[in-house]
Amino acid sequence: MMKTEDLIGILAADHVPPAPLRLSRIAVAVLVVMAMAVALFLWRFGIRDALGQAVQRPVVAAKTLVPLAICAVALPMTLMRMRPGLGGAPRLRLLFLPPLLVAAGLWLWAFSALPPEVRFADVSPFSLTECLGFITAMSLLPLGLLLMLMRRGASPAPAWAGALAGLSVASGVAAGYSLFCVMDSPLFYVTWYGVAILIVTALGAVLGGRLLRW
Amino acid sequence: MTNREAEWSALLLAAMAGDGRAYARFLTVVTPVLRGIIRARGRDLGAEGQEDVVQEVLIAIHTKRHTWDQTAPLLPWLYAVTRHKVVDAFRRRGSSVHLPIDDFVEVLEAEAVPDALAARDTAVLIGQLDARSATIVRAVSLEGQSTAEVGARLDMSEGAVRVALHRAIQRMARLSKGME
Repeated sequence: MMKTEDLIGILAADHVPPAPLRLSRIAVAVLVVMAMAVALFLWRFGIRDALGQAVQRPVVAAKTLVPLAICAVALPMTLMRMRPGLGGAPRLRLLFLPPLLVAAGLWLWAFSALPPEVRFADVSPFSLTECLGFITAMSLLPLGLLLMLMRRGASPAPAWAGALAGLSVASGVAAGYSLFCVMDSPLFYVTWYGVAILIVTALGAVLGGRLLRW
Repeated sequence: MTNREAEWSALLLAAMAGDGRAYARFLTVVTPVLRGIIRARGRDLGAEGQEDVVQEVLIAIHTKRHTWDQTAPLLPWLYAVTRHKVVDAFRRRGSSVHLPIDDFVEVLEAEAVPDALAARDTAVLIGQLDARSATIVRAVSLEGQSTAEVGARLDMSEGAVRVALHRAIQRMARLSKGME
């Protein structure tokens, strides 16, 4: 290598200030692409019948609101990771608790309310492929965009940052997907939306570990 | 001891507003403290290895300086960048490191060891650049020319020299993290 004072000379000569990081712009860009992916999907495959009536049932509304709440917590946390020194925001992490508790409560409630033979009656290869496939597929483009934009940041834990990116995108997309999905049992949607979200989260961790190194 | 937070954040703030002198000054005052931290933590590396890590940290500070939120304190940001690069550099050299959080406030400055550094080959990183970038980097650093002078010599506009220099530094940043 070279002498450090020479390096300082080189770096100082490259002193035109880079554009500042604007986290809110990144958030808007990612949300727009997520919304477009969902809109395209709903335009092609349609909103479920009688959505307006269905969402008046809390158990159906939760199918949209719980993932939306997770996205609302995860996305700011993801973007904060682009700035070193902000820490892992341990207090912000507590905000995951309400949606997770609601999801767990709904699952247990449905499990105890339904007779054993119908609990998992709606699980079929088709319904699983549909649910996992669509949520994962719709997440790919927004996740790719988010990770690309995050490369300008400097996350001290790239895989974690990538995982959070995957969680943000997949939970947001799942909220959109729920407007199409007619599986109203929490046993179905908590489990399989959860699995789909975890798949994308794991993908984000793997990609983040590679793309977000610095 | 002077108030590092106030002094350094004022310098980097001015630098981020386009003040090149403040930026050079910032890098110059930060370096001995980085060196002090790295020397205290990485005795196994030897003076040359330590200085390599100092330089990797400086390049990271440079290429990631826009991630500092200018309304927030500087030292936590600087510390996080330093910590990440030092841990990364030590890991790649097969050594582990423990960095307590108060280093930036407490640590004493350390001067470069002239003998160890004078003998160093300047060519390794620069040598991996293409010929024109290497010429520009050498002219700016070793020969101390301004970007305008280099431009006149190479028949390039000053803007083109700056862009080439900027790219060369980005390339060196990638080289120093072992990604090329």
